[in-house]
Amino acid sequence: MDAFYASVEEREQPGLRGRPVIVGGAAESRGVVAAANYAARKFGIHSAMPTSQAVRLCPDLVLLRPRMSLYSEVSQQIHKIFLRYTPEIEPLSLDEAFLGVDASERLFGSAHDIGLGIKEDIKNELSLVASVGIAPTKFVAKIASDIDKPDGFREVAKSDVQAFLDPLPVGRLWGVGKATNAEFERLGIKTIKQLRHQPLDAIEYRFGKSGKHLWELAHGIDPRVVVTDQKARSISNETTFASDIRESAVLRSILMDLTEQVSFRLRRHNYYCTTVQIKLRHADFKTITRSQSLPNNTQNTQDIWKTAVGLLDKALAGKSTPIRLLGVGVSGLTKQAQGILQEDLFSTTTTEKEQKLDHIADDIKNRFGTGSIKRASGYKKKD
Amino acid sequence: MKLLLNRETLLKPLQTIGNIVERRPTLAILSNILIQIKDNKLTLTGTDLEVEIITTFDIDSAENDEITLPGRKFIDICRALPAEAEIEVTTDSERAVIRSGRSRFTLSTLPATEFPNLDPITSPLEFNLSQKDLKRLIEKTQFCMAQQDVRYYLNGLLLEITPERITAVATDGHRLALSEISGSFPVAENRQIIIPRKGVTELARLLEDTDRSVQIRLSENHIKVDLDGLSFTSKLIDGKFPDYQQVIPKDANNNIICLREPLRQAFARASVLSNEKYRGIRLQFTNNSLKATVHNPEQEEAEENIEINYQGDDMEIGFNVAYFLEALSVIEEEKVELHLTDTNHSCLVQGQGDVYSRYVIMPMRL
Repeated sequence: MDAFYASVEEREQPGLRGRPVIVGGAAESRGVVAAANYAARKFGIHSAMPTSQAVRLCPDLVLLRPRMSLYSEVSQQIHKIFLRYTPEIEPLSLDEAFLGVDASERLFGSAHDIGLGIKEDIKNELSLVASVGIAPTKFVAKIASDIDKPDGFREVAKSDVQAFLDPLPVGRLWGVGKATNAEFERLGIKTIKQLRHQPLDAIEYRFGKSGKHLWELAHGIDPRVVVTDQKARSISNETTFASDIRESAVLRSILMDLTEQVSFRLRRHNYYCTTVQIKLRHADFKTITRSQSLPNNTQNTQDIWKTAVGLLDKALAGKSTPIRLLGVGVSGLTKQAQGILQEDLFSTTTTEKEQKLDHIADDIKNRFGTGSIKRASGYKKKD
Repeated sequence: MKLLLNRETLLKPLQTIGNIVERRPTLAILSNILIQIKDNKLTLTGTDLEVEIITTFDIDSAENDEITLPGRKFIDICRALPAEAEIEVTTDSERAVIRSGRSRFTLSTLPATEFPNLDPITSPLEFNLSQKDLKRLIEKTQFCMAQQDVRYYLNGLLLEITPERITAVATDGHRLALSEISGSFPVAENRQIIIPRKGVTELARLLEDTDRSVQIRLSENHIKVDLDGLSFTSKLIDGKFPDYQQVIPKDANNNIICLREPLRQAFARASVLSNEKYRGIRLQFTNNSLKATVHNPEQEEAEENIEINYQGDDMEIGFNVAYFLEALSVIEEEKVELHLTDTNHSCLVQGQGDVYSRYVIMPMRL
């Protein structure tokens, strides 16, 4: 999707059309740009840029707070359109997905036709613009979808892959970030063609295993297939504070909030977790994570909370350095509650009671929104 | 400093303090041991800031001096020298030289003034116990201490001192061990302290099975135990231990008596095939008979039939077999009593005739 969050906002508020719009956090609280429409991009604004910098580049900027529930709703509508054409969908994010259409061509025509069909359906039904890339491999499809943005449509046939890749800068390859790019530049390798002409040994020697992978990508070799139903390996939430916090009581109550969100998501996907982790970033950017395995796997807020707060108390013990970021996560996810359950001598409630409570709270959240019911010790923002 | 010692005189006290000298310490000085000579006495000190052990013995030396040197290395060198070797240690401000026979070692040193002291014990509560009694309190209970539990107050041993008894309690939340001794202790009201796990294990190693007494001193944050030329100090865990009385079953009505060792051996055999992670064992009690079964994810199975003395209703209940094995290993009586209420409640385990020690195990739903 092109400038997804911003486009959704433009659709919702027609008055914004043509004006530079960004969706992101407030400049005064260290927010960053989550999405910028094309009018804003003309000023050199791009996502992940600090909002404060964006405002400097374009003082007339319209800054909108992200409305994640709205975007996720639209994302699901898009997903439904995909499903008309193929069940092989691998979402990359809310607004990007790989679709495998090999098996659909008999029913819906060529990949070209399917791509156009999806693009039109999205335009007609949701008034949003999607860019489509069609290629024999995932990474070429991704580049193809990016290359003619906005409103792009590019098909790269198998025989054209090499010609398509050759002139592109190496930075377009997946896995080439700032550091690798600088290293390539030092070696005088700027385009994918130049990388392709290097002997594999030399690249492998310099970049190790990932070098081999990049070299293969440069040749258009990418064995990865579309993975439907990507299994989650962990679920986490974290938050960077508008200003650093040192009071442990405040941190605990924020942790309670994060824990509620994480365990709500855990239950929504019907997972059980076996490990709880917390993450702390100090004002000096020193970041620590601490984790603890549970004797019994669980999806109860209370179990996860007890473990998380224990880890927090231990991590903060005796110190009062200001904290910049706090996060909590769960991993070791399984679809089944373990049948074996070791009872605890000192627990005051039973697992069953906690389960009932969580389910009722989840029902209320699903109906009235995630902020509608909270544990009393959770953090309440002043409006 | 100049020291001339026989290897055997030096090695035992060194090894006593060696365990708490850290291998990868947060402060460089913590990997060192403190050596002090004063008034014809040699004192060795090791600490990890939580536990401190000091050992003192007589030597012939005219000078008074002090220095610190790398603990592990010094111990490993002394251990590797031949028996009865004469060891000579000389130090200047930066180096220590150790000579013995045809060997020579140069170790780096740090000044003694940098060596940390645990806070001195002030206004202590003081009393004496026999080594044997203290050792027993610890050995009967320590295996139930939690390890790195987020409930930090469980990662240690509770000592509760009342005017007429001392009770030691350890629990990891799934099982609990309690042992007590009676006596007369100089407290006006009940006093609870929690000794951290590491302190407990170290202290247990220092104690011997003798009637010789130890002096115990308690302050707000520390416990100090003095015995036979050794002084042990540990910080205490600042926390509230859960109400252990409440979780000890009082009116269990299904009572089982059986021989301890055959029961332990049957459980040990069955446990071979238990699920490595959960270690579950299913116990079926019927009239005068106990059937214990164990399964693992590979569908392997063990069954043991044990003769017991039981006249209650038929009952089936699951447990972690490791918890039973550990409790049965520290019970010394010939017969053991199990007291059960029902499948949802804990099991009380006691050596028959031992009124001082009790074990509580929570069931496991299998």
